Amino acid sequence: MAGSTQTSGLGFVGQSVKRVEDERFLIGKGQFVADVMPDGVLHAVFVRSPYPHATITSIDVSEAARHPGVARVFTGKALNEVTQPFVPLAPQPGSYTPIYHAMADEKARHIGDPVALVVAESRHIAEDAAELVVVDYDMLDGVGSIDRALATDAPQLWDRADGNTLSDATDTYGPVDEVFAAADRVVSITLDSHRQANQSMETRGTVVEVDGVTGLLTVHNTSQGPHVLKWAIAAQTVNQGRMKSLWGFVRNTSRRKAFFAAAKDFRKANKDDLKGQDNAGMKGQLKKDRSLLKYMGRMGLGLLATENFPTVTSVDIGGGFGAKGPIAREDIPVVVAAMSLGRSVQWIEDRVESLSDGGQAREERFHVDVAVNNDGTVKGLRVDALIDGGAYPAFPFGANLIGTLWKVYMPGPYHFEAFQLRSRIIATNKGRVVPYRGPWANETWMRERAIDAVAAELGMDPADLRSKNMMTQDNAPAAFITGPTIDETMSTRKTFDRALEMIDRDQLARDKADAEARNHRIGLGIASYHEAAPGPPNFADSISPGSGMLLKEDGRATIESDGRIVMYTSQVPHGQSHQTTYKQIVADEFGVAMEDVEVIWGNTDKSQFSFIGTGGSRGGPLGGGVMRATAREIRKQVDELAAEMLEADIEDVTIVDGNIHVSGTPAHGISYADVAAEAAKRASVTAGPVFDVDLKYEGVGNGGWSCATHVAIVDIDLDTGQVTIPRYLVVEDCGPIINPAIVDGQVRGGVAQGIGAVFYEKAFYDDDANLLTTTYMDYLIPTAMEIPEIEIEHLETLTEGENDFRGIGEGGMIGAPAALTNAVSDALGIQVTTQYLPPSTILELAGIITPD
Amino acid sequence: MSHSITFTINGEITTLDIEARRSLADVIREDIGPTGTHLGCEHGVCGACTILLDGQPARACLMLAVQADNATITTIEGLADGDKMHPIQKAMHEAMSFQCAFCTPGFLMSAVALLEENPNPTTDEIREELSGNLCRCTGYQSIIDGVETAVRLMSRGES
Repeated sequence: MAGSTQTSGLGFVGQSVKRVEDERFLIGKGQFVADVMPDGVLHAVFVRSPYPHATITSIDVSEAARHPGVARVFTGKALNEVTQPFVPLAPQPGSYTPIYHAMADEKARHIGDPVALVVAESRHIAEDAAELVVVDYDMLDGVGSIDRALATDAPQLWDRADGNTLSDATDTYGPVDEVFAAADRVVSITLDSHRQANQSMETRGTVVEVDGVTGLLTVHNTSQGPHVLKWAIAAQTVNQGRMKSLWGFVRNTSRRKAFFAAAKDFRKANKDDLKGQDNAGMKGQLKKDRSLLKYMGRMGLGLLATENFPTVTSVDIGGGFGAKGPIAREDIPVVVAAMSLGRSVQWIEDRVESLSDGGQAREERFHVDVAVNNDGTVKGLRVDALIDGGAYPAFPFGANLIGTLWKVYMPGPYHFEAFQLRSRIIATNKGRVVPYRGPWANETWMRERAIDAVAAELGMDPADLRSKNMMTQDNAPAAFITGPTIDETMSTRKTFDRALEMIDRDQLARDKADAEARNHRIGLGIASYHEAAPGPPNFADSISPGSGMLLKEDGRATIESDGRIVMYTSQVPHGQSHQTTYKQIVADEFGVAMEDVEVIWGNTDKSQFSFIGTGGSRGGPLGGGVMRATAREIRKQVDELAAEMLEADIEDVTIVDGNIHVSGTPAHGISYADVAAEAAKRASVTAGPVFDVDLKYEGVGNGGWSCATHVAIVDIDLDTGQVTIPRYLVVEDCGPIINPAIVDGQVRGGVAQGIGAVFYEKAFYDDDANLLTTTYMDYLIPTAMEIPEIEIEHLETLTEGENDFRGIGEGGMIGAPAALTNAVSDALGIQVTTQYLPPSTILELAGIITPD
Repeated sequence: MSHSITFTINGEITTLDIEARRSLADVIREDIGPTGTHLGCEHGVCGACTILLDGQPARACLMLAVQADNATITTIEGLADGDKMHPIQKAMHEAMSFQCAFCTPGFLMSAVALLEENPNPTTDEIREELSGNLCRCTGYQSIIDGVETAVRLMSRGES
């Protein structure tokens, strides 16, 4: 197709270059996990709890095991006995993070909790046999809400926790009490958001392929973070014959030496981070559960003893939005099944499983106090936040991530003098909480909703209140009160000012009047925010001291002996078009066509360890950044050798369309193949890389903030409660754009999910924690009929940094719920306090119907 | 108990012995081989498995393969004529319609069916016709743009 044949010289970065990925996708040749069908593969189906909370008294698998075509049936207990549990990573001070196994064995803690595993010759047979597994449960009361969880007579999910509160952290910045005492007034509002589900169109899945000769595993998987999955498999399946190799590892002198050398290097490379780390959380956790020490030790060994452990790989992944970041609990038992049967096993999650155990997010409550003077000057922000954490904490990141990000982001772009956040994670009998596109997004919803409530109380226009309090380039302090540095990339005010210019208030007033005549109401909502993408160098330390070492991005570039340029990334594309954008970046650096660059992704054997993989809007700034940095490093080496070969000064070497020549004499050029051949000759090699650079990249001294203002205009039909969106505008600044069409797609997709969240999507649990939304007939994903055209305006604030890309993947979803609920508030002349606004709620808020 | 069925898929006549309970989508993917037809929900809502059955869009996850006996089936793999892309494929590339592309086969097949019935649809008609297919990545605008681009390509005779 046309995309990859555009010529170099003009610069690919900045153009809407057509997607390279389309070449396979549009002809049906993508390779997703369910498309991997090794010969003789067996199919796995989980037996799951139909009850939210129950003691498992017995499991009888005998009839299922006798069913023709069944290879084996595993009880949860049998699987757990040969695996290590999930352990908490970075627990908060004072918290108890449950240690739990992949399977429910004694207790089921939510609808869909896996209790047994059937492996059979076909999916149909496995499903049939799963129905023959007899599980006896003693039902316990379910905990279906935060309120129920905190009641004194509530059933407790985890014996070692303090009630159902798993963590309770308070962070204070500035003199909160004095600021509140001195302010003219305090405006308070309580806001509830609802449980949502990431719901990529491809569910999760894993195909564990066993090499018949070596027994080695290749795990084809949908993970956004395959290195962590590899680590978890290595460490958690340790009893499955792997313990032997771990002990062998410890006893083997050369490997042990290598281990300690690597550990020493790691300590040296991350000295400052390690020194700064606060281990109070882990120490507190140890007091509650000594077994943590043993399990953490084994996890640690798993991390470092990577030899003989599985290759985790993916080609194409059908979306993730964060849900495929944490380890799927199911992956561990499927690996054990494959290892013990010596056969390849495939597990593809179905949609019902996905809606119950595939990851949920954002069920949160905020008691917000804003200290404000009567002239509209905001002074202080105090928030008491509760997170419905569901039953099992996601590994490595889930609900534990949210409060730590809130505490840094929550005051937003405003001049608050003081800020205090108390955040608690509450256990309930619901599905796991996973990161969902801007996992911290409700800080923006909470703050921007509260700003509008303050404006209403003061009789001010919300836009005027924002104008009065939002930092400008001139009056912004050097750093936020919560720690991170502010630089020119914190351009939220610029996006806000531009958005205001683009709204025609007079027209809006006329539209409002016209709407009333039709028994409609029209309203305007604004929301502004910034996100660290990747943030200034001190951002990680502001979240948790010493955490910066987890966030570096590795990359590698090589030129092979035949002159091919090959780039290796730890990023795991699942819709973001990494292949296209990285080729754009690298082709520009090397002066070649995009098709001359090969990008290798999705294989843990070919990429460096990454705690995150793809997530946190890192693909552009860090993933793209390290592509550029490694390419530049190699280009220098190429230029040096080429200068020698061309008998010229290095400054005179130029490369256009792959022709390496002295400026002005393109006819006498040489090729990458020529330079590579010369390098190979000098190194006396005939194959493999002749230039090879790998480095770690953290965006130090550059990178920064990605900022935006969203404007929603809603039109509410008071006869039906239906809401349409005649205009949705995003003014965003993610710095220099690699590919405008791809950025637009990210913004629109995020906004669409925000629209879904507010008007259509809710994972409904009843008071006893029974899940009522297990199909797409109940959990409503918006269609082309519901999502309007979304207008996007780009500002591109540049900095002096050598690499200035800033992430854009999450922002759409961060801004949309706030802008939309503010618009509904404006339309109805009320203050909306819930994020979920289906037609029935709209009509209740309008006073047309009364709640049940 | 298995049944012998014969259908034409992407121009090739295929005869298979299959269990009555197996879906058309499973049989296409597992027994015949092309995996471009995707299963997103297996209950007929997401539309990723949409194929053309005797020229009409159908959910391959909701149909039993035995129901397709004697039918003519087109999947995403059958859209191009050798190396020559169908205008809808060209147009979706031009408009950069998709991201993760899991929903892509369904959208392409629904769009082909729409344009065969109505070669010059309005934007509202495109939105309505494609509302039986879910995409979680794009917010749909780029897909609508893709269909509109295809309309232009086809009206210029670039098919």
